[in-house]
Parts: sequence; structure tokens; C-alpha cells
Amino acid sequence: MEPQTASSSAPPMDDIVTVRDLTVRFGDFTAVDGISFQVRRGEIFGFLGPNGAGKTTTIRTITTIQRPTSGSVVIDGHDIRNDYLEARKRIGIAQQHISLDKDLTVRQNLKQHALLHKIPKSELKEKVESTASILELGDYMERKVESLSGGWKRKTAIVASIIHDPTILFLDEPTAGLDTRSRHMLWDLVRMLNRKGTTIFLTTHYIEEAESLCDRVAIINHGSIVAIGTVDELREKIGKVAVESTDPDGKTVISYFPTREDAKGYTDTLGDDYFNVRRTTLEDVFLELTGESRGKLA
Amino acid sequence: MTAFGDSFRVAWIDMCFVRHNILSILVTCLVSPLLYLVAFGYGLGQGMTVEGFDYISFMIPGVIALSTLTSCFSTVSTKVMTQRVYYQSFDELFLCSMSPVSIVLGKSYAGVVRGLISAFILYALGLCVSADMNLTASAIVMIVISCLVFSMLGVACGMLANSHLTQTLITSLIIMPMTFLCGTLFSLDALPGFAQAIIGVLPLTHTTGCIRASILGTAFPWTSLLIILVFGFVFAAVSVYVVRKGRS
Repeated sequence: MEPQTASSSAPPMDDIVTVRDLTVRFGDFTAVDGISFQVRRGEIFGFLGPNGAGKTTTIRTITTIQRPTSGSVVIDGHDIRNDYLEARKRIGIAQQHISLDKDLTVRQNLKQHALLHKIPKSELKEKVESTASILELGDYMERKVESLSGGWKRKTAIVASIIHDPTILFLDEPTAGLDTRSRHMLWDLVRMLNRKGTTIFLTTHYIEEAESLCDRVAIINHGSIVAIGTVDELREKIGKVAVESTDPDGKTVISYFPTREDAKGYTDTLGDDYFNVRRTTLEDVFLELTGESRGKLA
Repeated sequence: MTAFGDSFRVAWIDMCFVRHNILSILVTCLVSPLLYLVAFGYGLGQGMTVEGFDYISFMIPGVIALSTLTSCFSTVSTKVMTQRVYYQSFDELFLCSMSPVSIVLGKSYAGVVRGLISAFILYALGLCVSADMNLTASAIVMIVISCLVFSMLGVACGMLANSHLTQTLITSLIIMPMTFLCGTLFSLDALPGFAQAIIGVLPLTHTTGCIRASILGTAFPWTSLLIILVFGFVFAAVSVYVVRKGRS
């Protein structure tokens, strides 16, 4: 079954996020090492990488929670170094950790977010109710956040992040800890927001999520971007056709080829040995480019 | 919307907490000051005269000043530190378009409310037990200023402390000495000159002097008021700087 790709609006005409030579160091440790990329207006852009790759540090720096060591970030024409207040007006973020006040209810947390984002007091109640209904939070509104399950806390955090209709929404590992139903509900929400014009920047280590949602993906490892492009472009980097075979020791070897014809040339040499020809997946690309693959380039 | 107006939006969630927990706040605000009153005022100070006033009349304005420090500082510093380090809900303030001044002001209001509650209850109590104490507008203004200054100190410490241990250290090294040494419970005239000079650089010394003078009707120490305002400005500036600098 072909992976479902996001259906976004008309091709974006400009870049809503421009990152140049961004570096973030904590003492001697370099978490983000001189990365550069752009996010196009209207797209769903994914940051894919293993734990500790620098995804969260990147997102926290772009959204002005964290200060960069060097480099520049421009959000919708506003440089975060000089004009961070204007940049923040355009940003919504649901972080990996739940940054809600656990002593208060869902409703109070949503109202606080609305107040902080300067939604007029006359519109507050209606805004909170309508945004909460998007993720079916109605029955949970009067419950304290600390009493909610992890999944409902995350949904509340996401609702809070979109309450002010941000131009660009940052989602840091949005489906971590969610069950399958909730995960797919969230994917539908992301697609719906994107269809309405919100640019989405999400980080994930779930390859299926990146494949399913993202228009373009940046693969990050050890603080550096190793590849960036659409899923098809990334597949082409290593070869769109994968051949799984076994070596004399019984170990699985994966080889990549540009076309099926090229792959056939290889499989003809395998004789009766086991092999499987399939489409290269984003997981293959990820493992190959981050150096964690067991396969080899043909 | 001005920074001042925006500060009330920042303060809203902390005010929710105060409203929901008003009874426990009342109790916690008053236990220490009332203990000081009973132990020092009636226990040790019975029959004593200090600076021309009976000890209770001398001490109560000091305890009022002390309560503005302890209530405001502990409320704000604990809340800010906990929200930053443990709940990580303070990040929301780094993500919104509120100015750092609005954030610092807004975060101080919960402390000001708690400080005012405890101070005015003690003030009312003092008016009942001491004929020398007066209800004056200047005393009310000084109590409000004192609450604001020490709430700002709470914001600064809450932004700088990264754990309960650090916060306890700050309380032990700075707040506790101020509590006992800044003329709240005894007259500074009894101390040697060098000690008075050292204590004179602490903000509680000056808030105590101003509140006491306002309540007892003695000569108002205008220099102390100026010093308090400078302290308030410094604490606010440090807080704004740390908020502007961000989480790290």
C-alpha cells in the first residue's frame, strides 16, 4: 500500500522559516551544528532523527525558547534576534514535554494561553470552546491537567498551541505516547490545519509519521542535517529500489538501485539465493544516511 | 495594550491559584508573623520600651514589613522556579508576545496579593492591641511598595534558581538573616556602627523603617524610601534581563 502523503494547499510561494548556519552549544557539547534550511509557507515540514539528534534543541531555538550560539532564524520576515516578539505572534508550539500548569483545569490552561496570546476578552470564551471541540476535549474541560492521561494531556497541549491561530505550528514529537486511534486523529488534525493554511513543522522519530504527513523531510543526526527533500527525492538519493538478500553468514544485506532494471541486473547474479525486491522506504534512507544501516550502496 | 495592561493577562493564572487556595494561603501567611507576635511581643517583650514605644507597638510594624518580605518572596520565587524547572509551563511565557516587563510585573502580582493579605491582617490586629499605631495612607502605600519590591526579588530568584536546593540556599543566606537583623524585632540603635552599616545595605532595613515611621507617626526616612525604590528597580531590571535572556 502506498504511504498516504499530505494534501496541502497550492505550492507555497515563499519561505516562512529561514534558518542559516544555526549552531547551539551547551558548554563543550554541540547540540546543533551549523544547520541551514527553509520551510516553505503552507507545507508540512518534518524533522526526522533519532533521540539526541538535535531535533528538540532546533525547534526550541527557532521558537525563541532557547538562545542560539550563532546563526540566524527568520520567521515570516522577522529575525528572532531583533524582532522576537513579532516572530512569536506567528508561532504556536506543542512541546515534547507538556508545558501546562498541572494545578489548574484544562479550561483554565486554555484560557491562560488565549490571554497570553492577547485574544480579546470578549472572544475568549467562544475561542476556548471552539478550539477545544476540535480535539473533543469537551468532557475534560473542568478536570485538572494532572488527572489526565498522557494522551489527553498532549491533546490539551496541542489545542493550547493553536488557540491563537498561529501562522506556523511547531509540533515536537506530537504523537509520542499516544495510542493508534489518537495518533491517527492527530494526523487528521495536522492535515486539516494545513489545508486551512497553517504551515506545520514537526519533529518525529516515527518514520511512518514523516512518510504519511510531510511534504518535505530533513533528516538530522548528531546535530547536522544529512539530507533534505521530499520523500521521493530522499529515496532517489540512495536508490528507489531496494533488494534484500542474505550474505554467506546469513546476515541480511540491503542494496539500493535507481531502477528496477538495475536491481534485476543484481538479482540475476543471486541465482537461487533468497532475495526480496521492494520499494525503498524512508526508513531505509534514514538508516543509510545516518550510518546505522546494515546494507551497502550498490 | 500596554505592558502594564498585559501584565494582568500574565497574572491571571496565578490569581486563579490564589483564589482556589485562599484558605490555605491565609493560614500559611499568618502562622509565622503571629508566632513572632506571641513569642517576642508578649513572651519576651512584655513591659519593654524601645525607641519610646512599648515593645508590641514597636514590633508589629516590623513584623508587617517582615511579612511583606516572606510572603511575597516565597510565593513568587517558589511559583516561578517550579513553573520553570518542574512543570516547565513557564516556557509559555517565552512563547507568547508579551514583553519581558509584562511578564515580570505579572508574575509579581500573586506575591503582592499574598503579601497584602498578611500585612493588612497584622495591621488590623495591631490597631486593636496598640494605641500607638495609626492607620495612615502613607503606611498603606509603603506596604504596597514593599510587597512589590520583594515580589520582584522573588521573580529574580525564581528565574535564577534551578532547584529547590538553590532556592533554600538563597533563603538561608539572604532572607533569613534579613528576617532577624533588619530592625524588624529589635532596634538597630543597639548594634555597633559597623553592623548598622552592613545591615543598612539590606532592603528590609529600609522598608521596616518606612513602614514603622508611617504607622507610629515618627519622622519619615525619605532616604530609605529612595533606597527601597532603587532596590525595586534593580530587582526588576535583573528579572527583566533574565526573562529576556530566556531559559538558558
